[in-house]
Amino acid sequence: MSDNRYLTFALGKGRLAKQTLEMFEKIGITCEEMKDKSTRKLIFVNEELKLKFFLSKGPDVPTYVEYGAADIGVVGKDTILEEGRNIYEVLDLGFGECRMCVCGPKNAEELLKHHELIRVATKYPRIAKDYFYNKKHQTVEIIKLNGSIELAPIVGLSEVIVDIVETGSTLRENGLFVLEEVCPLSARMVVNQVSMKMEHERITKLITDLKSVIEKRR
Amino acid sequence: MKNQLLHTPEGVRDIYNDECMKKHLLQDKLKKSMECYGYRIIQTPTFEFFDIFGKEIGTTPSKDLYKFFDREGNTLVLRPDITPSIARSVAMYYGEEDMPIRLYYMGNIFINNSRYQGRLKENTQIGAELIGDNSVDADAEMISMAVECLLAAGLEKFQLSVGHSDFFAGLAEAAGFDEEEAQELRELIGNKNYFGVEEALANWEMEENLRELFRMLEGFYFSADEMERARTLAVNYPKILAAIVRLEELNKALEVYGIGKYISYELGMVSNYQYYTGILLAGYTFGNGEAILTGGRYDKLLPYFGKNAPSIGFAIVIDQLMAALARQKIEISVPQEGILIVYAKQYFREAAMQAGELRRNGTTVELIGMDSFHTKEEYEAYGKRNYRSQVIFLE
Repeated sequence: MSDNRYLTFALGKGRLAKQTLEMFEKIGITCEEMKDKSTRKLIFVNEELKLKFFLSKGPDVPTYVEYGAADIGVVGKDTILEEGRNIYEVLDLGFGECRMCVCGPKNAEELLKHHELIRVATKYPRIAKDYFYNKKHQTVEIIKLNGSIELAPIVGLSEVIVDIVETGSTLRENGLFVLEEVCPLSARMVVNQVSMKMEHERITKLITDLKSVIEKRR
Repeated sequence: MKNQLLHTPEGVRDIYNDECMKKHLLQDKLKKSMECYGYRIIQTPTFEFFDIFGKEIGTTPSKDLYKFFDREGNTLVLRPDITPSIARSVAMYYGEEDMPIRLYYMGNIFINNSRYQGRLKENTQIGAELIGDNSVDADAEMISMAVECLLAAGLEKFQLSVGHSDFFAGLAEAAGFDEEEAQELRELIGNKNYFGVEEALANWEMEENLRELFRMLEGFYFSADEMERARTLAVNYPKILAAIVRLEELNKALEVYGIGKYISYELGMVSNYQYYTGILLAGYTFGNGEAILTGGRYDKLLPYFGKNAPSIGFAIVIDQLMAALARQKIEISVPQEGILIVYAKQYFREAAMQAGELRRNGTTVELIGMDSFHTKEEYEAYGKRNYRSQVIFLE
């Protein structure tokens, strides 16, 4: 639609951003500025392709995209579910794969079977609530924590937890088990509703290119 | 202590000075566009009984409504949307009318959505409804008027997406989805999550034609050729076929209006408002995260209130349109008019008489008594700030 407009990308800080940039490089999108570790810049520009990139905290990515401050974002499915924003989720990038699970000590398994009121500690209250209320029809008390969720059942703060499980080694070391799987997770590309419409050609090309890379990897 | 009194609650705000003036100028332009098409203004109450916006109507979810009680204990709701009110009032006052009814409204709507931090809860909406005409011509008129409104507002780059609610409804029906499955799929499509859609459909038995039709949900810009292809595929599915034929006819009618470049057909459009039963409409422009114009055909809403009449309408959120204009650096120019008379105290009589005469002739006159603290330059600047074309000193 407009040739001189920048497409802006919001990337979730950390491993996700690194893997995203690696994937983008394969389709010819590079951002040299971003590789400079010592830089204090917040926004990185690729003048040639008219692209802008910035890094933000994962949970903020859907917010930037919803308001159109970024056209495109890359973020984990867990964040998308937890934030529940009005954005288009157009592509499963296939990396950062893990699962959202209900975990706890073995003896907590019984508590999940009888619609008992139990306490659930989690960093993802929305996902936990949706799972227990709408899928399991079990009333639970949700306790929001900000990290080291595994601690909760050990110290008796809650009966079970809802958290991301990658390899499960932290769980095992602390005598916890995966009791139920809530949903599979991976990195997703999200797009602002208006951008999808107004920058349709550029974004569609990007999606098609990325799709072919993803397919090759499989 | 008093500082507390100065705040407004979250989600509402004062609009004043230039911004307010510009908003009113914009509103006038939009009103004029609608009047040009023969629409007449209507006003409905700011709050109504809960049932007007209830679940059966399919507007904003109940938890997002501002609710309160009247003296008899009835639940009242601040309107989140004006269309249901229009439907109610038309069913009440135009019950016997068998000719088309053209109405437009402007008013504030209230949505209590705490998730949207940084988003206003009170917005001004202007919208139009064409009731009692279910022809393609009526659809085309509505869409043409929508384009006309956005052009009148000063927008240059915008796109109106046109879809049909029966396309997806027909697909879900033909594939034999139950309500829950259809709802799940509708959400995926609403989020443009096509890999999710593919996943959901992969294990579902269906005809190859139908599968290809499902894939068409993905397109954002549907061409006439693709439409023809869709028509061939849908030959055994009357509901889908009817939706496509309607869109094709609409396309022809819109050609007459010559607004093709603003229109794109999107078969995967689904609306949050469940009362839509036909053509769906959404207007997009840069500088805004979401659609600034939404609408569609709602043939089952009026029958719900007891009048058997089909209708189509759209609404524009003026505050969002203002924001989009500002971000695209499109100025709404405020005309300079009126005279500022600055008089020395002893000339009050002359000033008032002169002002009176000018006002009788229709000129705007602002009077201000000169004091010893302000300079002439400051008065002139004041006049300029208030868009006065002339400053006269009486001293």
